[in-house]
Amino acid sequence: MNTSRPISPMRVGSPCDDTADLAALRRRIAALERRPAALEGATVGSRAGRPWPLGVDTLDGALPENGLASDGLHEAAGASAADGPAAAAFLAALLARRVRTGECGPVLVCQSRGGAARFGRLHGPGWRDLGLEPADLLILRARREKDVPWAMEEGLRCGALAAVLAEAESIEFTASRRLALAAAEGATPALLLRHDELGPTSAALTRWRVTALPGSADPFDEGAPGLPRWRLALVRARGGRPATCDVEWNRETGGFRMAAALADRPVTPRAGALEASRERCALGSG
Amino acid sequence: MAPDRRGPVLWAVNREAGARGLRPGMRLADARALLAGLATARADPAADRRGLERLALWCNRFTPWCAVDGSGDSDSGDGGLLLDITGCAHLFGGEAALMNEIAARLTGLGIEARLGLADTPGAAWALARFSPAANGRPDVRIAAPGELRTAIAGLPVEALRLAAEDAHLLRRLGLITIGAVENLPRTSLARRFPCRERGSAVLARLDRALGRQAEPLVPLVPPPACLERLSLPEPLIDRAGLDAVLARLMPELAAALERGGLGVRRLALWCYRVDGGVVRRAVATARATRDGDHLLRLFQETLETIDPGFGIDLAALHAERVEPLAPKQLSLAEGGRRRGDLNLLVDRLLARLGTGAVCRLEPVARHRPEQAERAVAPGRDPAPWREAPASSEAPATPQRPFRLFDRPEPVDVMAEVPDGPPLLFTWRRVRRRVARAAGPERIEPEWWAGTGAGGRDEAVRDYYRIEDADGRRYWLYRAGLYGDSSGDTGAGGPPRWYVHGLYG
Repeated sequence: MNTSRPISPMRVGSPCDDTADLAALRRRIAALERRPAALEGATVGSRAGRPWPLGVDTLDGALPENGLASDGLHEAAGASAADGPAAAAFLAALLARRVRTGECGPVLVCQSRGGAARFGRLHGPGWRDLGLEPADLLILRARREKDVPWAMEEGLRCGALAAVLAEAESIEFTASRRLALAAAEGATPALLLRHDELGPTSAALTRWRVTALPGSADPFDEGAPGLPRWRLALVRARGGRPATCDVEWNRETGGFRMAAALADRPVTPRAGALEASRERCALGSG
Repeated sequence: MAPDRRGPVLWAVNREAGARGLRPGMRLADARALLAGLATARADPAADRRGLERLALWCNRFTPWCAVDGSGDSDSGDGGLLLDITGCAHLFGGEAALMNEIAARLTGLGIEARLGLADTPGAAWALARFSPAANGRPDVRIAAPGELRTAIAGLPVEALRLAAEDAHLLRRLGLITIGAVENLPRTSLARRFPCRERGSAVLARLDRALGRQAEPLVPLVPPPACLERLSLPEPLIDRAGLDAVLARLMPELAAALERGGLGVRRLALWCYRVDGGVVRRAVATARATRDGDHLLRLFQETLETIDPGFGIDLAALHAERVEPLAPKQLSLAEGGRRRGDLNLLVDRLLARLGTGAVCRLEPVARHRPEQAERAVAPGRDPAPWREAPASSEAPATPQRPFRLFDRPEPVDVMAEVPDGPPLLFTWRRVRRRVARAAGPERIEPEWWAGTGAGGRDEAVRDYYRIEDADGRRYWLYRAGLYGDSSGDTGAGGPPRWYVHGLYG
């Protein structure tokens, strides 16, 4: 490799050389900073090497290999505490995309008691409404919070799972590093929902901050909620760059779609009607 | 000492008191007259029984087939243990050596025991209790194989485990010893009893003692299909020693299972402590396996909870539940990188987090959403989920929430009366303005659950899919109907609102 020589401004003129240099540099940096084991042997390439695109150019372009690495740790958190379910649904949608790209198998979902109390437990029919198969779910309910990283590691190392999805109150750097190593070892992606709004440091390859956005109307019913819509902020991507995008998740096409700008949102005709009928309202007793 | 109709009587006496003429069944007043300074304690037959069972567990170190003697519930209160040592004696260097070891270990525990060994349980029972002191050790009596008849011929008739009145009758007939009873023709012996049942009972006892009639023992713990044990010259007192012992036992057990074409579903480690205690730790597997490394890993979590006390001097692995498992064919294709097995993962998770920590979901044909699915253990195959509706019919909008609360959370709601969607609601102390709403979707209880006394729990529910101004989505429901304080829907009072689930 001829990467040791400095890139001088004189060389900028020849574009062919530049791209070759850049690719070589990228390879070298990738080899330095992550997954040395995955790179040296070509045997794992069939499964682990293939990145897993989101299908939205803005986001895929910001990721190092035009997609999420399938042998690393990816974190998501809600922008505020109330956005937790949106972040959880985003991770489920990521899983659904992975299943659509042909990677199927059981998914281990780890929840602690506290997590279930916060946003409820998984519900099979709703899981299917996001585009996933409830029969693939292997649900783990840990009594203690500290069992969650342990169970995740076991699941990742085992290698028989399509993915491991978990939620944790908070996770330390050491634990996240362990998870990242286990994910690389088992060539299984780890998706982690954090309730602590992305702590300071982590060994995750990508970190997402998810905000729920007011969605479009249902095509068959103006007043009804339509497709879920989120603002995805790629806060950190190792080897990539930050990006933000508003997307809509459609479980039928199995894809994210860039959402129309907020300004385009049609005025709901119901809102006025609701205002007029305030007099007839009753206050339900809690 | 135990209460009786006419005051307390002696239940059991120790050797010292026996030598002074005290006998079980004697009145306490009489006993006190014989021995003024008599120390007594209240009899507790249930505790005696429990103690015997503990001792029977401990005796599993000699043979896997140990039973608490059920016939010993005579008025004397002396129980006993029956050990089937078929095929075990050679492990200890012969029958005499085994009996001496049992006697020595019991003495070491501070238990006074009389041992008898014979071809049948009945004869062993008789030898242990009624045989006069033999030469050598006074508390061990052995009838050599084939010499059963001569060994018990001289014993008194009580040694046949007879009811007291039957033994009394035989003595009155002049039949003092078992040999005398045996020499009598069977029909004439039976005829001497007032009724046929008593006669045949005596004959049955005789036949069992002499091995002419089978007498099965019911073991306290079902004997395992496969067992490997390791006797330790020096008692173990730490975890590292246990690890080493397990690592030695496991390959032997795996080999034994492989020979039998078996896989284990439940495997138990029995640790026999020098103080007479027994610690048992079991691990279960989702599928039959004989993978020694995997089973060892399962034990890692439980070994820490074993208290070695003063030391463990014998460890045994019992394959308690086994299933046939065909020999494994190593395929050429998977020679390279070995993919993990999901069942092994489940076993590891369950071994550490406890049964019930891992489950799959299964649909149930019920109306209520919280009842419409059920958690099943990973070992069983869950019922299939029905096919998702064809895409032309179902809108892509999620109809059901993917997170459901175990307990629906009550909310304050402002809504149109009588059946409009909510306009404003307060959940977890935050007021949320409704931007979009879809519904209602009415979910009624099943007809058989409808009008019970359950009150509000069985009211009609109207579900709404709600999106608030910030784009967060909720599944709200109203229990009961406005203006329906009584009647069919079951719920009295105004309806209440709950958040039941969350969409992403």
